Amino acid sequence: MLAHVARFYHPTTVEEACSLLAAKDHKNVALAGGTHLAVVEDSGIEGLVDLKGLKLTHQRRENGRITIGAMNPVEDLKTSTLLSGPGGNLLRLSAAAIGSTPLRHAITVGGNLVAAFPWSDLPPALLALDTEVVLRRGKEERVLPIGKLYETRPTDVIKADELVTEIRVSEFATSTGTAFQKVARTKNDYALITVAVRLTLKDGLISEARVALNGLTRRPCRITSVETFLTGKKCDKDIFREAAKKAGDGIELTSDFRASREYREEVLPVYIRRCLEEAAANVSK
Amino acid sequence: MKLNITLNGAKKSLEIAPNAYLLDVLRDLAGMKSVKRGCGEGTCGACAVLIDGRLRNSCITFAAHCEGATVLTVEGIGSHEHPHILQKAFVNHGATQCGYCNPGSLLAAKALLDRNPDPTMDQVKEALDGNLCRCTGYVKRIDAVLDAAKEMKSSREEKR
Repeated sequence: MLAHVARFYHPTTVEEACSLLAAKDHKNVALAGGTHLAVVEDSGIEGLVDLKGLKLTHQRRENGRITIGAMNPVEDLKTSTLLSGPGGNLLRLSAAAIGSTPLRHAITVGGNLVAAFPWSDLPPALLALDTEVVLRRGKEERVLPIGKLYETRPTDVIKADELVTEIRVSEFATSTGTAFQKVARTKNDYALITVAVRLTLKDGLISEARVALNGLTRRPCRITSVETFLTGKKCDKDIFREAAKKAGDGIELTSDFRASREYREEVLPVYIRRCLEEAAANVSK
Repeated sequence: MKLNITLNGAKKSLEIAPNAYLLDVLRDLAGMKSVKRGCGEGTCGACAVLIDGRLRNSCITFAAHCEGATVLTVEGIGSHEHPHILQKAFVNHGATQCGYCNPGSLLAAKALLDRNPDPTMDQVKEALDGNLCRCTGYVKRIDAVLDAAKEMKSSREEKR
């Protein structure tokens, strides 16, 4: 319950929204899908700035790049006919893994990216695709690689009066395969493990490997030990098995009532191996 | 503050608190008692309504977020005297026991059929994946939706 919210704003431009968020006299926060804000207890929040009127719901494909507005409900990614190819497919699959139908109609691309809960399904896919995140602070614009946001918490990087307005990914139209797996007790439950993989090949060898996780780490992250191991190697079952063994290297796995650390440690390499095999099997010509 | 919505086809202007949830506004201010409070955190779908054609959980939707929107509840799709084809199908298949999940489930089904008049069983399951039902075991309501789709199709063909 946001007991002290006494103001609700409907800005129609990014500039207007940013200036409301910059207010010094009372604390305003941005509202996207609201699935999180609606259930938190925060008596410090005094105003809500609804981003719905900013019309950031575009989806475009041009020159091998996919551009997606931050206010797209993730359901619109799931059902998008525009998103295809290895990059587009990975976005669609990760969006489809999120929650249930009514939640997917509410949850937005920008909200899922910024909130980045352990169970958020979009962030690992965004990491695997080397996504660029467009941030606006009034007219001022900056573009950050997605990894920058997850070095700490996104809210440590994004200023209070700054908004994610758009994400940009490459289609990875050729020589690339992607795969996505969410492991949960039921389809609607929070993820125990989320894995997103991208393999980009050059002359039959892996030139770029991305193995990104969420669900079992405190923040979405890439496993660089596995990525480095795979780079320059062939797509081969034994190599993938070897790579998967390095899954736990350099990352700290979480433990909670859904699954113990030991369980996740045991299961993670299996899913990484399967994702690598799947990505290798669907490499685009 | 004022909230202007089109509710079940009628324009409404309601005086709401800025932090009010759509669920409470619909039930207490607009009298739409079909909208049920279940979990209160967006998990069970008992409170689901259609906002501009999208299925949303009204318990976690700020009412003010719906300014200018078209909102549909079960009161807007049929009545006791003239039930919607989906409502009849739910009754005929026994897809209702305690009835608490029915309003949300019916709207989830309606949202599906509005978009996809000829769904597969998997598509029905997915469309209703946010509406928990603890009585019927799901099979009956899936059958009901598939049956309603068939009936709607044949009534469309008759009209041609």
